[in-house]
Amino acid sequence: MSHIHIDVENVSFSYDKGREILSGISFHAAEHDSVGIIGANGAGKSTLLKLLVGLRLDFNGTVRVEDIPVEKGTLPQVRSRIGYVFQDSESQLFMNTVREDIAFAPRNYGLPEGEVEKRVEQALEMTGIAHLKDRAIYKLSGGEKKLASIASILSMNPDILLMDEPSIALDPKNRRNLIHILNSFHHLKLIASHDLDMILDTCRRTILLSGGRIIRDGRTEDILTDKKLLEDNGLELPLTLQGQNRID
Amino acid sequence: MHMADALVSPAVAGTLYVCSAAAAAYSVKQVRMDADTKKVPVMGVMGAFVFAAQMINFTIPGTGSSGHLCGGLLLSALLGPYAGFLTMIGVLMIQCLLFADGGLLALGCNIWNMAFYGCFVGTLLIWRPMMRKGMSRAKITAASVTGCVLTLQLGAFSVVLETLASGVTELPFGAFAAVLQPIHLAIGLVEGLITAAVLVFVYEARPELLDSPDRETREGRFSFRTTMVVLGAAAVVIAGLLSLTASSLPDGLEWSMERVAGSAELDGAGSVYQAAGSIQEATSLLPDYGWKGSESAAGTAFSGIVGCAAVVALCVGACWLFRFFRKKKQYE
Amino acid sequence: MDTLAARDQWVNHVHPLVKFIVTLCYIAAVVSFSKYDIVGLAGMAVYPVAVFILSENSFLDSVRRLRFVLPLVCLVGICNPLFDKSTVMLGGMAVSAGILSMAALIMKGVFALMASYLLIATTPAETLCCAFRMLHIPRILVTQFLLTYRYITVLLEEAERITQAYALRAPGQKGVHFKVWGSLAGQLLLRSMDRAEEVYESMQLRGYRGDFGYMRERLSFRWQDGAYLIFWLGVILLFRVVPVVSVVGSIV
Repeated sequence: MSHIHIDVENVSFSYDKGREILSGISFHAAEHDSVGIIGANGAGKSTLLKLLVGLRLDFNGTVRVEDIPVEKGTLPQVRSRIGYVFQDSESQLFMNTVREDIAFAPRNYGLPEGEVEKRVEQALEMTGIAHLKDRAIYKLSGGEKKLASIASILSMNPDILLMDEPSIALDPKNRRNLIHILNSFHHLKLIASHDLDMILDTCRRTILLSGGRIIRDGRTEDILTDKKLLEDNGLELPLTLQGQNRID
Repeated sequence: MHMADALVSPAVAGTLYVCSAAAAAYSVKQVRMDADTKKVPVMGVMGAFVFAAQMINFTIPGTGSSGHLCGGLLLSALLGPYAGFLTMIGVLMIQCLLFADGGLLALGCNIWNMAFYGCFVGTLLIWRPMMRKGMSRAKITAASVTGCVLTLQLGAFSVVLETLASGVTELPFGAFAAVLQPIHLAIGLVEGLITAAVLVFVYEARPELLDSPDRETREGRFSFRTTMVVLGAAAVVIAGLLSLTASSLPDGLEWSMERVAGSAELDGAGSVYQAAGSIQEATSLLPDYGWKGSESAAGTAFSGIVGCAAVVALCVGACWLFRFFRKKKQYE
Repeated sequence: MDTLAARDQWVNHVHPLVKFIVTLCYIAAVVSFSKYDIVGLAGMAVYPVAVFILSENSFLDSVRRLRFVLPLVCLVGICNPLFDKSTVMLGGMAVSAGILSMAALIMKGVFALMASYLLIATTPAETLCCAFRMLHIPRILVTQFLLTYRYITVLLEEAERITQAYALRAPGQKGVHFKVWGSLAGQLLLRSMDRAEEVYESMQLRGYRGDFGYMRERLSFRWQDGAYLIFWLGVILLFRVVPVVSVVGSIV
């Protein structure tokens, strides 16, 4: 078995002792997996991703990333292996230029300047934004900001990529571009999204969340074509499949 | 209330740079002791918030005008006086450098007049003592309004002192203060009310965000000592500035010469060159330079204008040539 | 400003610390002129004129920025003719000393502002921060400066959205009614706090542990930087100490 994997065992979580956001979540994901996490608003998708990188530690159960349990003492280790792309690129990109932002993580991990430069070039190339290298962040368009924020994570060389609603507010061209980039990342990725068409294009496996529980965990084709299952959980068939249904 | 560079002399600007730097160094030490890694991003974003909030126009009831929010007190009420002070320095630096609001040389003065009083005096003398026995809407409102009025009065008074000590204005002390202080009393009241409204909203929605007495204990119970240090420092600065004004020696040589120029009917343009002239005489490079005799006054004025034109023309010419040759070199 | 500062101009590549020191010395020299010395002050125009030409910056753009600071300077200046009624002889004419000092004050204001405008128009903010670090300005302050600079545009947009949403539902009002002062700005404040929280998370996830490793003090001095510094400090000193304008005038 390869070393890249995530194990979540019986995880429950609630904010400030209120309603449970996640309850009894267990799953395992290994290298080369591409997992879509879908569910209606408030199903707990974002919260689940946040637990995986230890942004909240007050949960019950265990989360292991590459056999390291996620807890206070192991956070630096865990976080050096996981890249997490925020929903809001403005918060993700806090430096003033694209280059500086992409270089932030490698510099913090103490890489020599030459290596940092190489990582930055690689990340720029993978996301196809080399021409924006010296641009000020506030001058980027929404799509460019998303690509830059992905580049700023890729420069960490993560084993595991987590994404929260990556396709939100992207125009069709940028969205296609994003799908292309996601498909070129081969290690292990978890994508939380409402955009079922994108999940269909990027993930082989899907986890359906509702009310903080895993309703179904299986092959994407099986879950995203199950009209009744989706509608029972506040979702609809992907648009591409809706068209086919009408022809049927 | 931002002071421009033209209103300060190098001596006054330097003095206040030193004072502001001392207060900043102390604040940096305090914030570092706190060892809260979250403080830096919060300070950064809240600095940007102050900019954004200042763009909002709050209508003042009963008048056609609008007011803005008082950054120093608000930031300190949220972040504590030390982090609040550092955040205000960042805001003032950006206003000065990127928006040309306040001069680069006068930055020390502006930090002192706006950030220091708002954060240290406003918070340590008013906000924290009033909140010691718990918070309430009324207390927050009272503290904000008194805090804003007091800090703006101190700030305006400092502007008066700094300008007079710099010797750039003929305005008598009384008249200058009589103009600035009442204006800032009105501004202080309005800013205080707006700041109070915002703080009361925060108190009701997310009270944990406000600077509270328990946070003070975590920072170490300095407040009395700190307050005394602060008051002492302020007194020293104000006394220093006052003594400068009293002896009218911000830049000793020049001031005394202005007196000569003002009273004796010397050639105005020439007389101020006495300092330069004495150097000239010492080096006797240009013995014929006519600034002494009043009969050559017309000549001096004329030569001033011609000289200015010649110098600027020479400078422009040299720069164009420089640029031309650089470009040529690049193309080759 | 960033666009201007990012241009590939010769002046833009001069070491930021050098430009910062020259600017500060220039402003100090300008304001140290006595309050009647308009002829001497006129000579100080050489620095802004030269840098405007060398950096190919638009003079008009900088004039537009004068509007913030000049009012207070003018206010103070206008009082001078009223209180200083003494006269001096200038070119055979009796001139009010107050008017002379007003003119000098405004000249000082304009020159100082142009100098700082030229500094920022030829130096990007991040580069300037390298200079600040070299001056040993604490890292926490420089980091905070950069973060504030980054988020001004983001929060301004948010403030604009909030006020627009308000204005659309409160037609005919010029500003914000006092009953919603607290909640309107308060909402913006809470959003900013949440934003700060997310920024902090984003930093943590990329290895931030309370210290910014990024601020490499990488800019090294070249001989041109030294020459630039010495040249301008020399020119400033010359124009400050020797009445060059009058001398040239009398020679011509």
